[in-house]
Amino acid sequence: MQRRNLETAAANYSYLRGLFGIPLGVLIILVPLVNWGVCPLWAFLVAIAVAGAACLPINRYYNENYGRLTPSTRQQARGAVAAVIGVAVVGGGSLLLRGRADWSLDLPVNAIAVPFALVMLISYAIYVGLKSHHVLIWGALLVAGALPVWHGADPGNIGFVLVGVAVMVSGVFDHRLFVRTFGSPEVLDREDIDVGA
Amino acid sequence: MSEPRDELILDRLIHEPARLAILTVLSSVRDADFVFLQRATGLTKGNLSSHLTKLEEAGLVEIEKRFVRKKPNTNVALTAVGKQRIAHHWDQLERLKNLSAITTQQ
Repeated sequence: MQRRNLETAAANYSYLRGLFGIPLGVLIILVPLVNWGVCPLWAFLVAIAVAGAACLPINRYYNENYGRLTPSTRQQARGAVAAVIGVAVVGGGSLLLRGRADWSLDLPVNAIAVPFALVMLISYAIYVGLKSHHVLIWGALLVAGALPVWHGADPGNIGFVLVGVAVMVSGVFDHRLFVRTFGSPEVLDREDIDVGA
Repeated sequence: MSEPRDELILDRLIHEPARLAILTVLSSVRDADFVFLQRATGLTKGNLSSHLTKLEEAGLVEIEKRFVRKKPNTNVALTAVGKQRIAHHWDQLERLKNLSAITTQQ
C-alpha cells in the first residue's frame, strides 16, 4: 500500500481537473485580442460569462464521475496563500523584468510568460509533483519567454497568447493524467453509483 | 524492556488494507463522498460500503446521507478518534519499518 499515493489523491483531485483550463485559456487569449482591438470589450465580458457557464458542466462532470471532497482547512489555507503569492509574483515579476518603473530591470524578455511559467512550475511541483508534461509545456514557455529576443513594444500581449495556449494544453494533459489516476468515467456503474454504507 | 514491544501492537481494525486505505484518504481531507472514496481506493461499491459500516460502528468515521441535485449522496468524514487512531497507526508502522531495518542491519 502506497501511503503517499492515498494521501495525495485529494491534491491530485483538486489540481488535475484540467478541463477547467480550456475556458480559462480561451479567456487569457482574449485579453490581447481586446488590447489589439480585434475583440471588442463587450465581447470579452460576454466571453467571461460564457467561460463561467462552461465551468458548471465541467464541475458536474467531475463531481458525478469522480465524486466530491472538501479539502482540509490546512489545504484551503495553503491554496489561498499560494494564489495570493502567485498573483503577486506574476504582477511584480512582470513589472520587475520589464516595466516603466525606475526599479525595473527592463530586460528584453517576455515579462508575462516568464513569471507565469515560473509560478505554474513551482505550484505544480509543490502540490502534485512535476510531471513530464508540466516540465515540457511550462519549461518551454519559461525558456521561450526568457530568450533575449523580446524587443519591440508588444511582447506582453504575445505573452498572454502563449500563456493561454499553455494553460489549455497543460489542462488537457492534466485531465488525461487525472483519468489515468482515478479511472475512466465509464468504469463505475452509474445506476447505483452511491450505495453508501 | 517489554514497553517498546507493547507499543508496537497494531490496531487490527485499521490494519486491514481496505480500511487503512479509506482512513488514509480521509485523513488528507475534511470530508469526501462515496464516489471519491471508491475512485481513490479502487474498492468495489459493496466492499467500500461494508468497510465504511465497520468503521462507523467503531466510531472512526461519520457518515452523512444527503441529496445533491436530487441524487443520494453519502458523505464521509473522520471523527476526532478516527484522526487520532489513523495517525497513531501510521506512526506504529513507521516504527516497525525502522525496527525491521535496524534488525536486518544487525
